[in-house]
Amino acid sequence: MPRASASPRRAPTSQLAPPMVRGPSAAPLLPQPLIERLLAVAMERGGDFAEVYVERTLTTAVVLEESRIKSAQTGLIQGVGVRVISAGKVGYAFSDDWEEPALLRAASTAAMIAQGGGAERSFPVHRAPVPSHYRVATPLMDVDVSLKTALLSRADKAARAFDSRVKQVNASYVDQTRRIAIANTDGRYTEDVQDLCRMAVNAVALGKGGELRTGMYGGGGRVLFTHWDTFPPEAVAREAARQAVATLGAVECAAGPQTVVLAPGWSGILLHEAVGHGLEADFIRKGTSLFAGKLGQKVASDLVTVIDDGTVSSGRGSINIDDEGNPGERKVLIENGVLKNYLYDGLNAKLMGQRSTGSGRRESFKHLPLPRMTNTFLAPGDHAPEDILKEVKRGLYCATFGGGQVDITNGNFVFEVSEAYQIEDGKLGRPVKNAMLIGVGPEALKNVSRVGCDPMPDPGMGICMKDGQMLPVGVGLPTLRIDNVTVGGTKVA
Amino acid sequence: MDYQQLAKRIVQRAKKKGAQQAEAFLEVGRQSSVRVHQGQIEDLTQSTSKGVGVRVLVKGRLGFAYTSDFEPAALDHIVDQALKLAGAAAPNKLNGLPSGKDLGRYGDTGPLFDTKVAELPGDWKIKAALEMERAGRAEDSRVVAFNGVGAGDHVSEVYVASTEGLSGAYSGTYVYLYSMPVASDGAGLQTGYWVDYRRFLDDLEAPESVGREAARRAVRMLGAKRVKTQQVPVVLDPLVASSFVSDLASAANGNAVYQKASVLAALKGKRLAGPHVTLVDDGLLARGLATAPFDGEGVPTRRTPILDKGVLSGFLYDAFTARKAKTRTTGNASRGYNALPSIGTTNLYLEPGTKPPRELIGEVDSGLYVTALLGHGTDPVTGELSAGANGIWIEKGELTYPVQEVTVAGNLLQMLQDLDGIGSDLQFRGGPVGAPTVRFRQLTVSGE
Repeated sequence: MPRASASPRRAPTSQLAPPMVRGPSAAPLLPQPLIERLLAVAMERGGDFAEVYVERTLTTAVVLEESRIKSAQTGLIQGVGVRVISAGKVGYAFSDDWEEPALLRAASTAAMIAQGGGAERSFPVHRAPVPSHYRVATPLMDVDVSLKTALLSRADKAARAFDSRVKQVNASYVDQTRRIAIANTDGRYTEDVQDLCRMAVNAVALGKGGELRTGMYGGGGRVLFTHWDTFPPEAVAREAARQAVATLGAVECAAGPQTVVLAPGWSGILLHEAVGHGLEADFIRKGTSLFAGKLGQKVASDLVTVIDDGTVSSGRGSINIDDEGNPGERKVLIENGVLKNYLYDGLNAKLMGQRSTGSGRRESFKHLPLPRMTNTFLAPGDHAPEDILKEVKRGLYCATFGGGQVDITNGNFVFEVSEAYQIEDGKLGRPVKNAMLIGVGPEALKNVSRVGCDPMPDPGMGICMKDGQMLPVGVGLPTLRIDNVTVGGTKVA
Repeated sequence: MDYQQLAKRIVQRAKKKGAQQAEAFLEVGRQSSVRVHQGQIEDLTQSTSKGVGVRVLVKGRLGFAYTSDFEPAALDHIVDQALKLAGAAAPNKLNGLPSGKDLGRYGDTGPLFDTKVAELPGDWKIKAALEMERAGRAEDSRVVAFNGVGAGDHVSEVYVASTEGLSGAYSGTYVYLYSMPVASDGAGLQTGYWVDYRRFLDDLEAPESVGREAARRAVRMLGAKRVKTQQVPVVLDPLVASSFVSDLASAANGNAVYQKASVLAALKGKRLAGPHVTLVDDGLLARGLATAPFDGEGVPTRRTPILDKGVLSGFLYDAFTARKAKTRTTGNASRGYNALPSIGTTNLYLEPGTKPPRELIGEVDSGLYVTALLGHGTDPVTGELSAGANGIWIEKGELTYPVQEVTVAGNLLQMLQDLDGIGSDLQFRGGPVGAPTVRFRQLTVSGE
């Protein structure tokens, strides 16, 4: 599966019906008096702020290999994390033991970060309303597992029927119903139910002389199960198979600088890597990102406007609230090439005298929140995609993509191109293999010379990794031309 | 709580409820970690965790469920769930737990548990992290910030039981230090990364040494630039070489091989590299991070050469894949409680050569010494490698100026043939994958 990572550093089934989780109207995850008690214990040594994070996540996963359902599984992970902030220092403790003594122990452990004695105080919380950017009508966990295995069997048939050269198909479906409750000493109590699903299909094609090529496609989001009626597994499978077959006979990729044209959609991971991570407030506060101290400065071509939007309807990266209880927001990060804003979680915002942009996210109760992206898009431009291609005399057309990675300090990012074609006189030529793009974020963005009028979100398959924490994200890009990009390849002119 | 008894009780319940075979895999652990920032604690985390996964077979149908909730009702619930899922799954006569003959006797792991780590006081980690930060700044005044400096430890226990007579347990300790300083020359920023991760406190590199090495790695990258596109010898430092070693092992995954989705699938018994190249997966390596008496399904771990003196000698298997491929499991089922076993590596390493790294570099007239990679390495299906690289340019056998924004590209099989030098400096740097410095006769470096 493609991944996007900020730093180099890892699911499962069915109609689970445990007593506590039943959609948004269910009983609270933890009784409010217990939550308030935990906040009081967390503050007993005189912290500045405390927060209780409660999570209960049910996961279903189905895997198909060699035309058989290899496994179906289901699981429950639940726990409580207590965070205390004292003079900018953070104490964190979590427990997956739901019993009161264990939770109180976690609260007093987190409290140890503060040095004072402090009198016992009380911290009443009040439920705050949350927006609704996704619907949870029937939680995915309540959908019968046989419907999920059927999706994969359909995908397998479609991929194999696409072309007789498709020799191997692996497919997976994962969904998650995650319920969170967050309470803090500002008196704010919020809850959310976050449903998420994703299907992925990998195809391997066998060509002449034993040549092997792969294709990968998938999708999903915070959607109802009926999503698969309009985004059928056959379409996912055929796209994976098409990629594998289309790249058979690919020639070596020329190494060195080239003009590249990126197809719309999933190519948005370029943006995620080239600028997104570098705008996260933890790196900015510590001065370790090359974008630190550049607010108001020109960091990209005039054609570039970058938006991180947690409010996209049913988006994979959308959040009604972030993992600190703040509402998801739409933020313009770069406007016509000028750096406008960073991505703030609560702690970094406070330390920097800013307000949270609803960007404090965490993988689970086992993790501290970090400033993270949600759905990151490039705003559309004026150019017709076919004109963008026509204008390029010689270059590389990047049709589908693997993953990417960035070093936020020197800005070097890479972007793996899994399906690419030579461009000759404005037309697509032969497929090339083993291509990769490398650049330095702001330099690459200054070399953006055409932005298409065809904005497209990715189909819902992004996983972003930072400090060992995996999160679902969305990306999106219109057709884009970038000049003078270093292309990694094997052929030297 | 007696977790071994609990695992057995779960298995008995599954059997009583209709499973022909059942297995419970249970993990219990505690962790603690600290990060520092500008001479102060940045965050301090402590936790306990646990979980159990239950695998059942009913008439050749597989079901699996897991939970982190050990209340009796929750444990009963996952047994019911696993059985229900088995009811919905397709039968496959190859499904099944490892049999008695696969289980066998455990090899000698040596010690896995260090009481010094288990009893490490919280302020040791704080002091160690502060020491790394201080040492980094002392090493060079151009060190201006840190992406992170931290230390941590964890203690974990594993218990397994099955209807096939399996009953086993072990516990282990782990301790680590890492530093990611940022250096500035006024014109640009560069980062470095150094880490040490061990089972035993006495094996751990001193905090000051980790801090200084991380700083050196950041500072030496200041002023990095692109080089011309060319084909040259490429030397990988041990940290980078370990990712090449991991890529080789993923192409030796028995399932990818069975599916003919590996560049190595048809090459068993063939010579792929010179006689100086031996790649081993060893689940019994003394003091190894991944050393354990048994794998994720209770099968004894062992030493499995993948490349033996240059010849492709073996693939890695779990019990299910071994049955498909009509071979025996190699004890390479890897898992946490919340996942079914799948093929993975244990302690994986390329055996060291005789030359010191300085000599490998000294023999290069013009080439690239790679100290960091960006991207996900080699595609195990096609064997194609393309990755972003940072490093130092080698000119007449000497390290000269720093290089960034270039890529290295090649093909795994060609790279094995071109692997013309292996250093004497084998290290396991930050994980259970070890490598010495390695040199390839020629790779494509893409730049200007």
